[in-house]
Amino acid sequence: MTWIPRFITFTGLVLLAHAGYSAQEHAALASATAQHSNQAGTSTSLPIDISIETIVATMAVCIGLVLNTPNLRPIQWNVWAGKIEREGAEGFRDSSGAVEKDYRGNPFGTLESRPGFVDIRKQRREFAEWAKSGST
Amino acid sequence: MSIERENQIHPIVTDLTSSLFGVTAGILGLESYNGFLLYLVLSVITTIFVYVVKVLPESLSEGRSIGDTQRFFKGALQFWSGGLASGMPGFVLTWTLFYGLVRV
Repeated sequence: MTWIPRFITFTGLVLLAHAGYSAQEHAALASATAQHSNQAGTSTSLPIDISIETIVATMAVCIGLVLNTPNLRPIQWNVWAGKIEREGAEGFRDSSGAVEKDYRGNPFGTLESRPGFVDIRKQRREFAEWAKSGST
Repeated sequence: MSIERENQIHPIVTDLTSSLFGVTAGILGLESYNGFLLYLVLSVITTIFVYVVKVLPESLSEGRSIGDTQRFFKGALQFWSGGLASGMPGFVLTWTLFYGLVRV
């Protein structure tokens, strides 16, 4: 689905270029007619269709750009960590369906697995009991 | 970390769009206050669009009321007026450039 915003942006840019060219041609034509007819008070305001095309093109490019931005993330740590806990990498897909590049998993991961605080004697005892119960 | 990221993403949109609004104002041939008025109006429309597409769905699913941006931004003022001042130089730059390209 990533091509939709890009297509909208591209269409808007093409329309904008066309509107700019039309406005430039109109300005050149208006100045030429003013020279030939020698009328100082000739109206040179932009035709309404070029104005409309410019505005529509601008809005189209805006919509395309906004749709193409990555998703926002909650700024509170507990809200964000809760989202990761509940949804995992599934909650961090961008518009094309791939997991975002700067997704790093649980932000509290360094606190939750500290090898220096592992109770190795307890684990050894548990393993010994498991091994004994398995042998009998 | 997320605050920094948000502070980057929203201005990326406003920087790009403010240059775009300069092109629009130049093609339309606006002068003085009309150009800045166009910038203001289009920026507000873009921010509303960002709010509707990116902020509103997740804020509503979290149980926040409409108009509350606290889930993603520190303050409402920061969200609604954050990009206005930073986008202004780019706007004036492309405005004068395209005004000159089209008219002169």
